[in-house]
Amino acid sequence: MITIDRLCYNSKLRYINAGEKFAFAVLALCACVISRSAVVSCFVLAVMGILSVWKGGIPFSCYLRYLSVPLIFLLLSSLAIVVNVSRTPLDLFAVSIGGFYITGSRASLVYASELMLTALSSVSCLYFLSFHTPVPDILNVLRRLHCPKLILELMLLIYRFIFVLFEAAHSIRVSQNSRLGNRNYKTSVKSFSAMASALFIRAMKKSDALYNAMEARCYNGDIRVLNENFPPRRREIVWICIFEAVLYGFVIIEKL
Amino acid sequence: MKDLILKAENLHFAYEGERSHSLNGLSLEIERGKKIAFMGANGSGKSTFFLCCNGILKPSEGCLYLDGEPYDYSRKGLLKLRQRVGIVFQDPDNQLFSASVYQEISFGILNLGVSREEAEREVEEVIGRLEISPFRHKPTHALSGGQKKQVSIADILVMHPDIIILDEPAAALDPRHTKMVNGIVDQLTDQGITVMMATHDVDYAMRWADQIFLFKEGKVLGSGTPEQVFADKEILRETNLEQPAVLELFNALCEKGILSPELPIPRKLGDLEKYISDIPASGRISERKGRRTE
Repeated sequence: MITIDRLCYNSKLRYINAGEKFAFAVLALCACVISRSAVVSCFVLAVMGILSVWKGGIPFSCYLRYLSVPLIFLLLSSLAIVVNVSRTPLDLFAVSIGGFYITGSRASLVYASELMLTALSSVSCLYFLSFHTPVPDILNVLRRLHCPKLILELMLLIYRFIFVLFEAAHSIRVSQNSRLGNRNYKTSVKSFSAMASALFIRAMKKSDALYNAMEARCYNGDIRVLNENFPPRRREIVWICIFEAVLYGFVIIEKL
Repeated sequence: MKDLILKAENLHFAYEGERSHSLNGLSLEIERGKKIAFMGANGSGKSTFFLCCNGILKPSEGCLYLDGEPYDYSRKGLLKLRQRVGIVFQDPDNQLFSASVYQEISFGILNLGVSREEAEREVEEVIGRLEISPFRHKPTHALSGGQKKQVSIADILVMHPDIIILDEPAAALDPRHTKMVNGIVDQLTDQGITVMMATHDVDYAMRWADQIFLFKEGKVLGSGTPEQVFADKEILRETNLEQPAVLELFNALCEKGILSPELPIPRKLGDLEKYISDIPASGRISERKGRRTE
């Protein structure tokens, strides 16, 4: 997560209008989910990958590593679709065990692979958004889409404090290690619980201090801030429109 | 007649659940446009006093006056008060609430109810003035300690306060950033802002402050110009402070008859250096050496 954050602040696509990126990724995501077709998914997967690596400057190996994270889950879940246990053998393969067969059908294999591609390409859309758009920018887009204010404010504070508490946790951990707090299983369990309780207390104190600091700046229950806007560019919008048109063309052809 | 901006009268305050008072009959007066240092051990009540100045804490007894008017703790009164008295907290991580520098700085001024355009102008202005531009697009969690400090000062400065309170601004900063923060503080004074600063650095307090307050156990133990306060060894011992190096050296040189005690007390090492170089040439080592070789 921390790596994604670092990547998106260094991405070459960072200063592109967040609304454009948001629309681009979300529309592509919808196309994948609606069509559930392998062609559309592969197309989206390729475009997102090329844009992220080539235009955005995300290292290729890094991109692959992130894409492989959901792959493991997907493989496991599609295994459940393909492999059945039944009394009658199906057309793809069948292994007999006593009176039963461990078996699978061709249709279910196709279905599973389509599902996997759809899921993977949807993830790649979300990666595109999160690799190139810092969280405050995404929140700004959501605010414009009239997302409830309370949720946005919570997200803003949570995002900030993930890093503050992460740092605190890291320093506690280092100090525990330096005193052999993790030399065996028993001590590491103990150290971990001590860290967890220390973090809770620290989070409480921090939230108090933060509230005071915000009150000191005339906070009245409403977080109002200015957002930096990077103006949308016509050329980019035209490209996005062309891409989405082609994509939805595919979707319609597939559905017919 | 002194031009007082802030006055505290017999303040008492105890945190909930604690029997001992953090403020114990604290009274002081602060003149407009001055540089004031607050010194004293940890837990001597400096931070509590600062929170009282800003209206975050309300003293259980006693009263604070801004421009001669007693503090008004109504919603409207507090809003006005907090615009005029700003606090830069010691730990920027307790103050910065947003991951975006721009959002962070804009928070205070928008709370004052100005228009977005004006707020934008002010934020840009303060970003330029405090040299935040090189890292304005970085997330706050990726900033160095000094940069976070810059942003947290900008947070307050954008609201155009009359008094800025800095709670140990140089804590955990390297010498370069300490110098930079001190530079910003000088800028504030030049603009006529009254600066109240908690610090443990006696040398800095000696050369910077117009007035020093020494706190102990929630009370003012002593106050006055740096020359007065640091000359009083009794008070210094009670507050666990040491004399500034420049004063110690000056006194030692006076005792040895090298400098005249009539000279005004030097506040910077530079002043002392000048005194020494003004000593008649016959007393100098380089001259003696020269004579020997002749």
